[in-house]
Amino acid sequence: MASVNKTSSAGTETVVPKMTLAKRMDRIQMHLRREWQLYVMLAPTIIWFVVFLYKPMYGLQIAFKDYSIFRGVADSPWVGFEHFANLFSNDQFIRAVKNTISISALNLLFGFPAPIILALMFNEVLNKTYRKTSQTIVYLPHFISSVIIAGIVVTAFSPTAGIVNTVLGWFGIDSIYFLTRPEWFRPIFIGTGIWQEAGFGSIVFLAAIAGVSPSLYESAVVDGASRWQMIWKITIPCIMPTILIMLIIRIGNIMEVSFELIILLYQPATYSTADVVNTFIYRQGLQSGQYDMAAAAGLFNAVVAFVLVMTANTLSRRFSRTSLW
Amino acid sequence: MSGVFLEGIVKRYGAVEVVHGIDLEIQPQEFVVLVGPSGCGKSTTLRMIAGLEEISDGTLRIGERVMNRVAPKDRDVAMVFQNYALYPHLNVAENMAFGLRIRKTPKAEIATTIEETARILGLTEYLERRPADLSGGQRQRVAMGRAIVRHPDVFLFDEPLSNLDAKLRTQMRAEIKRLHKRLGVTSVYVTHDQVEAMTLADRIVVMADGRIEQIGTPMELFNNPANVFVASFIGSPPMNQFEATLEDSDAGPIAHANGTLIQLHGQEALRGSAGRDVIIGIRPEHVMLNAEPGTASIPIELDLIETLGSEALLHTHVGRETFVAKVETHGEIGHLHGVNALHVKPERVKVFDKETGQAIGQVA
Repeated sequence: MASVNKTSSAGTETVVPKMTLAKRMDRIQMHLRREWQLYVMLAPTIIWFVVFLYKPMYGLQIAFKDYSIFRGVADSPWVGFEHFANLFSNDQFIRAVKNTISISALNLLFGFPAPIILALMFNEVLNKTYRKTSQTIVYLPHFISSVIIAGIVVTAFSPTAGIVNTVLGWFGIDSIYFLTRPEWFRPIFIGTGIWQEAGFGSIVFLAAIAGVSPSLYESAVVDGASRWQMIWKITIPCIMPTILIMLIIRIGNIMEVSFELIILLYQPATYSTADVVNTFIYRQGLQSGQYDMAAAAGLFNAVVAFVLVMTANTLSRRFSRTSLW
Repeated sequence: MSGVFLEGIVKRYGAVEVVHGIDLEIQPQEFVVLVGPSGCGKSTTLRMIAGLEEISDGTLRIGERVMNRVAPKDRDVAMVFQNYALYPHLNVAENMAFGLRIRKTPKAEIATTIEETARILGLTEYLERRPADLSGGQRQRVAMGRAIVRHPDVFLFDEPLSNLDAKLRTQMRAEIKRLHKRLGVTSVYVTHDQVEAMTLADRIVVMADGRIEQIGTPMELFNNPANVFVASFIGSPPMNQFEATLEDSDAGPIAHANGTLIQLHGQEALRGSAGRDVIIGIRPEHVMLNAEPGTASIPIELDLIETLGSEALLHTHVGRETFVAKVETHGEIGHLHGVNALHVKPERVKVFDKETGQAIGQVA
């Protein structure tokens, strides 16, 4: 039997038997025979990933080709990094990258803590009926289609009949056409995102809070901690692993700014602050037919997201012993 | 140090009353153990003392002060929880310092107190570790350390050893006893384990169904159980109990159980109770293999011998009833196989009224 030598901390060498290929195959077969039901249940997810996420990767090569829909992916000529060079010399793309980063950073700053704060607040509400009612109310916007959400926003901020301008009017402030003003796009977009998702996002933090042992709070009560101190010194530290996991996932999606809502809310007048990489890809790829350039922009987006999620995961593992993998 | 005084303490959850008017006086520096089966109200009583549960009725005093409406933090009590309640994100030193920091104790004083307490509990080398990196026993010591550093008037322990294995439990029991001796803080300890109660307590409070069944020193409870519940709860193996009818004889009262006559010489209080239905209780430890002058003899059928090393448990039958005897082996059990009668001193035989379950007759 093959073996490997290992040196223990004491410095002595121990011989660890190495499993032969046949034995390993035997073990895998035995495992599959025993657990085949689990693999059958897993299959649809794997198939979905393969068909919709891995197979399309074949098409990524058009980012390096002068793609023509008549020649197809395989027969289009290679152009190397030409599309990437063009992208980085394209002011619109650079602006889209900057906007994506700005919107994502603001979203992370305001949108990420919102569900945590909401969950902490729900946890402090003692009246069950009040808590359940308010939870239902804040969960609801998540289930409304982005088109309707955008419709509500457009109506609310309308310069003629919108509630916002009506209220401003009560204070003698002239109507503002918010959705055509670049400086207002980001606050409106981020505010809408928080309104739509903070409630639903709080569920995962509420579940984490529910997992905190009640005896920790009881012990703190006996020690003399106030409710505020318990939130800061017990609840938040105890749900920190969940917060970090959610943060890593969020950072991984940093380049995926809510595409639908931006498409629905932005207009040429607000491109300077609203146009993001995804909307740029949409305009270049679908509207202008530059699929190769759009593929290059998409690939760039994916690579950045990959690097970000890897970095966040590594940092989290190093500093807080919590990581996705 | 302050005493803890409960006067007619009642706990209700809605319409359901779970603790029915408890009266208990715990003297300063005393170690009192509340013991009883699950759901008997012992933890609820402890939590009412801590202020974690509201008192529905009655008066709780710690020292001279009525505590019914006083916040837990102002009761000057420290509590050790069953699952230790250690903060997972804090290391041992920070866990122990938590209560002191909340109370804004000066940093230098915190450091000194932590150092001293860690030394007492043997935790000095673990101060930087987090709870996840400690063994069960170490965690338990940290939980106690967190209570000790507060220098409270009263310690409250809620089944603190029930998550430990048997060996560690024995070890920690001794440590708690030693600590109490050293610190002399009034302590109220809740457990369902009667061995823990017997070994730790100055006085034991046996509870059942939200009521106190008996209060006494461990030996009082062992020797003179007030009723059949206490008799069966305290002691391991539990007291043997079987139904009998009292009869009078010239030599004194006799219990007649399934054709077996048990002399109750000396239990004069039972004289004149002929015909009364009773429950006879005999502790397995009070049974002897050899007759002595005046002992009552009980014919038995030997069923099984359980060897414990220095002792053995004889599982026998007295008539239809199971009867367990705990006898010394002196290193061998061969002589036990031929046993066909056991002996007990009449004053060791406990008699309980069949109807009420309360002890009657002489108290040894």
